[in-house]
Amino acid sequence: MSWLQVGNSSRCGEAGSYRPRRRSSGVFSLPALVLAVSISNLLAIQEESAPDFETHIFPLFEAHCLSCHGASQPQGELDLTTHETTLEGGKTGPALVPGSPLESLLLEKLHSGAMPMGAARLSDDQINLVRRWIEDGARRAEAEAEAVAVAASNVVAGPETVTTILNVKCLLCHGRRNQEGGLDLQTRASLLKGGASGSAIVPGKPDESLLIQRIENSDMPPLKDQARLSVRAVTSSELERLRAWIAAGAPYDERKPEPVVASSDALVSDSDREFWSFRTPVRPPVPKVQHQGRVRTPVDAFLLEKLEAEGHTLSADAPPLTLLRRAYFDVTGLPPTSEAVQAYEGTPEAYEKLVDELLDSPGYGEHWGRRWLDAAGYSDSEGQVSADAIRPNAWRYRDYVIRSLNADKPYDRFLQEQIAGDELFDYKAAKELSPEQRDLLVATGFMRMGPDGTYSVSQAFVPERLEVVASQVEILSSSVMGITMACARCHDHKYDPIPQRDYYRFSAILRSAFDPYDWLSPSETPVGPEADWNDSNMRVLQGAPVEEVREADEANAPVQREIEEIEQAFEEKANVLRQKLLKEKRAAIPDLVREEVIAAEKTPVPERTPVQEYLVERFRDQLQILPEELEKRFPSFQKVAKEKRDAVQEVKKRLKGNPRLRALFDMGGRPTAVHVLGRGQYQNPLEPVAPGIPSVLGVGLEPYRLEKPKWTTDTTGRRLALAKWLTQSRHPLTARVLVNRIWQYYFGSGLVKTVGNFGRTGAPPSHPELLDWLATEFVRSGWSMKALHRMILTSTAYRQSSRRNPGIDGDPDNRLLSYFPMRRLDADAVRDSILKVSGRLDTTPFGPPDSIEEKADGEVVAKESKQGYRRSIYLMQRRSTPVTMLDTFDAPQLRPNCLVRNRSTVSSQALQLMNSQTVRASSRFMAGRVIDTVGRDPEAQVKRVYLAALGRPPSPEELNWSKSTLADMTEEWKRDLDQDRSPEPRQGRAQWLALGAFCHTLFNTAEFLYID
Amino acid sequence: MDNVTGMRDGTPNLSSAELPRRTFFSRVGDGLHGAALAWLLGRDLVSATPAPDGGRNRIYDLRPRQPHFEPKATSVIQFFMNGGPSQVDLFDPKPALERYAGKPPGRDLASTIEFINEAGGFMPSPFKFKRRGQSGLQMSNMMPHLAEQVDDIAVIRSMFTTHFNHEPSIFLMHSGRPFSNRPSLGSWVVYGLGSENQNLPAYVVLDDPKGLPINHIQNWHSGWLPPVYQGTRVRAKGTPILNLKAKKEYPDPVRDLARTLQGRLDRRHRDQRPGETELQARITNYELAARMQLAASDALDLSQESAKTREMYGIGQEETDSYGRRCLMARRLVERGVRLVQLYIEGQIWDTHQNLEQMLAYACGKTDQPVAALLKDLKQRGLLDSTLLVWGGEFGRLPLSQSRQGNLAGRDHGPAGFSVWLAGGGVKGGTVHGATDEIGFRAVENRVSVHDLHATILHQLGLDHRQLVMVREGRSERLTDEFPARVVKEILA
Repeated sequence: MSWLQVGNSSRCGEAGSYRPRRRSSGVFSLPALVLAVSISNLLAIQEESAPDFETHIFPLFEAHCLSCHGASQPQGELDLTTHETTLEGGKTGPALVPGSPLESLLLEKLHSGAMPMGAARLSDDQINLVRRWIEDGARRAEAEAEAVAVAASNVVAGPETVTTILNVKCLLCHGRRNQEGGLDLQTRASLLKGGASGSAIVPGKPDESLLIQRIENSDMPPLKDQARLSVRAVTSSELERLRAWIAAGAPYDERKPEPVVASSDALVSDSDREFWSFRTPVRPPVPKVQHQGRVRTPVDAFLLEKLEAEGHTLSADAPPLTLLRRAYFDVTGLPPTSEAVQAYEGTPEAYEKLVDELLDSPGYGEHWGRRWLDAAGYSDSEGQVSADAIRPNAWRYRDYVIRSLNADKPYDRFLQEQIAGDELFDYKAAKELSPEQRDLLVATGFMRMGPDGTYSVSQAFVPERLEVVASQVEILSSSVMGITMACARCHDHKYDPIPQRDYYRFSAILRSAFDPYDWLSPSETPVGPEADWNDSNMRVLQGAPVEEVREADEANAPVQREIEEIEQAFEEKANVLRQKLLKEKRAAIPDLVREEVIAAEKTPVPERTPVQEYLVERFRDQLQILPEELEKRFPSFQKVAKEKRDAVQEVKKRLKGNPRLRALFDMGGRPTAVHVLGRGQYQNPLEPVAPGIPSVLGVGLEPYRLEKPKWTTDTTGRRLALAKWLTQSRHPLTARVLVNRIWQYYFGSGLVKTVGNFGRTGAPPSHPELLDWLATEFVRSGWSMKALHRMILTSTAYRQSSRRNPGIDGDPDNRLLSYFPMRRLDADAVRDSILKVSGRLDTTPFGPPDSIEEKADGEVVAKESKQGYRRSIYLMQRRSTPVTMLDTFDAPQLRPNCLVRNRSTVSSQALQLMNSQTVRASSRFMAGRVIDTVGRDPEAQVKRVYLAALGRPPSPEELNWSKSTLADMTEEWKRDLDQDRSPEPRQGRAQWLALGAFCHTLFNTAEFLYID
Repeated sequence: MDNVTGMRDGTPNLSSAELPRRTFFSRVGDGLHGAALAWLLGRDLVSATPAPDGGRNRIYDLRPRQPHFEPKATSVIQFFMNGGPSQVDLFDPKPALERYAGKPPGRDLASTIEFINEAGGFMPSPFKFKRRGQSGLQMSNMMPHLAEQVDDIAVIRSMFTTHFNHEPSIFLMHSGRPFSNRPSLGSWVVYGLGSENQNLPAYVVLDDPKGLPINHIQNWHSGWLPPVYQGTRVRAKGTPILNLKAKKEYPDPVRDLARTLQGRLDRRHRDQRPGETELQARITNYELAARMQLAASDALDLSQESAKTREMYGIGQEETDSYGRRCLMARRLVERGVRLVQLYIEGQIWDTHQNLEQMLAYACGKTDQPVAALLKDLKQRGLLDSTLLVWGGEFGRLPLSQSRQGNLAGRDHGPAGFSVWLAGGGVKGGTVHGATDEIGFRAVENRVSVHDLHATILHQLGLDHRQLVMVREGRSERLTDEFPARVVKEILA
């Protein structure tokens, strides 16, 4: 749980703050550390005798806990009878972390009253006693020497904790990509080897170990870099742990992950694997039914079989124009044009041809692309933190999806590209990317769409990084595999056979690209102090089309120059002061050595003598000037510096984003080891695991097999193996999950209603045979999505009338589909169809998203361009400021993704359609166009508006109502204009405004908003 | 529940048959008792809304729902003091700091500081603390008005949170998790309880006209709960609710013609599709939307208040006018059955990184009188028993000084221990709960997590945080998620 992770990180002030230190610090002692001792000694807690296990805690356990957590068969494998076993913990990890009450599950359980189970909560005094005991290091009664020995054995028992400390606090600069000072802290051997200053550790001798000295002196991690690199100081409990570990001889856990052999897995049984969705679908025969005449595609036969069993059948076909409108919206998300309606009215037999035309139209990819983007969690901003940085290159992925769908790219290939496009070819060897190659890299944007706030350096710590990985695991597992893995992040899944181990095996597949201990920033616009970013620490790739890069460079060059000029002018001012300050500071160096120190500093680093090295180190503060020092020393300079920063910020706003590829790519080299994390917390690593797939899916399929491609591009092949494993034809989930989701969009709910959860907690399929038939047919057709659409669209089931069938009592949810479910347009279709119908839709596809703006009243709208407005899929989609119209009509909050959109019916929708300026403007625009097309005859106008807005001509009754309303409205407008003494020709203007109000009225009707 | 205003309860239950809609509308329109009538009609229509059909078409709405158990409070007003008020200068006296004044902090305290380069030594409060009221609860001299009401408030001195940053901490305070896009407390409350007034939004946000708080509108977002449970921004100036009125409305007769035609077409559309209950709900929504215009204008019309009341809230004085107006609006809203009102404050005025004395005086000066007035006013009107007040920020501050220039010291963020207070709605006044350590850095006694606070607020509304769930893809989601949370019973009457 990230709350706890975060709570336990060194940043919350919980982890054993200002505990007494038992050792004097190293060579340089700091007054701060001495003070820490004196203050903590004065705390109330310390004044009482410190509690220990034997005297204070065991009696409490004996009275309240041992009946379940005794030595024989303890519950949850937690044995509280001895100090050792208590520290060891149980199934869910350590019961406590000495020095860190908040990290301690035991205390959490006592505090919440969850434990003692079935008995009264312990008194606050008792709980506080346990808290104090843990806070104070969870000590035993024996002498301190003994306590240290215990601590050492504890370290030996769980050396990963040491690894975690080093990973979190050191690896960024002393790890895979950087070895500052030649030091690599990844393995015991490299620790012993050390760097330029010698071995990092001396086993058995913590005081002599450079690692300890540097940390104790607060040299490492360097204070000045902490904020920038999202690293915090090593806490005293962590320092103790490192000391104890070195004192114990620096034992290192070189355990290799044990392979998971599916056939003999203690955590997943054969009966678990028998669950329907984990077995490969078998293609069932198409049933013979009584109403054979109603069978247009096999879909109908499967549905009829069930309906007939209840004594029913499918409903009659919907009227042609109803079907026309339905098919248009379902395939393209847009209504038919008046011309299309008129043309179709004469030739309803051409339905199959219409379906083909619609599937071949660009609107298909835009409409169904939107749905895939929902599943992928697509957004043009990073989300998570309130700055909500723009993702300047996300749109390439959006375009890739639309193009792929329109080209009917086979789904297996579509998935492979999105999961592992970077591992499908040797991209580093390519001089210039071909469009197809670029697409492969852009496709991996799928793995980059979840929220990612780690561009903000104050929120880029390990827990937040793990959160990013968790989002991607959730997106991948819910959208492609239809299983919920999120629960297994913290504990074995309660209902599905997914042990926690499998979650971490699965997430290990991503470790070679998303390494929480070797993190890359997601964004090109990081925020925070001293942010200093370039391509090498951002998760982007070069390779955008050259003309785009050139264009951006050309546009940016003058802006860059402007920035440089500002910086230069500032530097000149700063330099004068800097020299002055340096002079002052050097004056503080004792006269005796000043000359030597200055000489030492001037000597190039490799040539310095040890004495010189010492001097430079000793007087470092006098020799350098930190940026903030200048402002401190010369308060008047603060204003200058602020003005400069503001000026640069202002100019920077004019910079065009760098054309890059937002992609996921293997970082090469050896990624850090992945461990099962107790309760999902990185501070609590358990056994190591190797990349793999959930073992419940490990039987009867081609296994997950790692093959490292032999290319110049250093890549592990982990995701490629996943992509291949997922797209094998016998995979029980991949095809089923997709056909089910496509089905859902046509019929309102999936054959499996829980489209992202095919596990035990999900709903069983309403028509299992139909699902399996569709899934196998889908694979047989070469994973063609268009073939699947055609199969559904041409079925009788799809063509049915939407009038509720009063005959079926036992099926209130219409699971049997005895009629077509009526439904409201989704958010994008509401907005797009208003634009389309009013003639303001700009159909230009692709490219960077259109800007949005927040009006004074808080409404977020698209900025108008000369050509009108583009479809909603091309709008800037920011997590923080959703476009009001879309938000109101249930466009999803993508956190991380969405597989089923909510559908609400609320009065804010009425307010939006009635009063929003954008809808009113569209209405007037439409009125103008109608007048241009059919002239001033009210009857012709009404007919035209009906055709365009509702896809049908008005009934005689409606025509009468409409005409008389229109006439009355015109009169009233005219009267109103008379009052205003409007100078324009009033009759014409009144007619136009009245027709606008009439169009506006139709936009507000249920018929406009619902598909029959 | 009281009957002072005649707004909340004790009204006869009139069915739609007794009150023909058309007549009713015209009476609403004549302005006499407009709001009261509109409110009645709102209730009436609610009971006329058809029941959802078996779950498939679950309609998410704001109809009042049964709480899990007998509630103590029916409304909540939350004073969100964004920025992080300093506990050691307001509610949590720490005389021991005098002893350590100027001394630098130890390693572990230092590893929790946001701006480590700016951290100074321990800094005692420059303000005087005194025992107040019958209860003798200690407060500094910065909030003289609240000090007079001290016997009505319960201070929790042992709150803690997990982030030293505004954004995650503000998210945590709102939604129980330190990031965006989860439903906020208010959304959960109206999801659980609906609203007593269908003509007004159930969950109202009164943000500062001078600017939105950090995390902006995401603070009151409904996450994956349907948007009907989202907080509605009610602005102090201009059109109070987004799109409540058109920028330029059609001439009245044109608007009426449009409504008539639409009603006709929609009713026919509905009648041709028997069984589609959503269509009726939609028609009802259009009627509600029309009535909301009246109800909202009325609720926010402060000219209906007496000069004395306005004065009490500090309206008309420059310092307190803005916050005073919002406090008074909050009272008028809960009077009308709005479930939850959140008040925000401009910028980050509690974020006293520097110049503590001056900044704190400014923040207190703006808010103290209005908050105390609202407390007093609710009490006078008998509404305090049913209205829960919650005052607090996203974290507190460190007992250390923080300074960019030496003499104008401030304090950096302190997430490990801080104070909030609650009042009304079944809270035992004059109570102090929990304690921080000797230096006011970290909560040590009876620690109260954000989840504990959320559970407590829900509990007073008659909701059990474990039972208030939304099932998503087979997973039961809660405000308190899987975190252990405990109702802070010690502060309850």
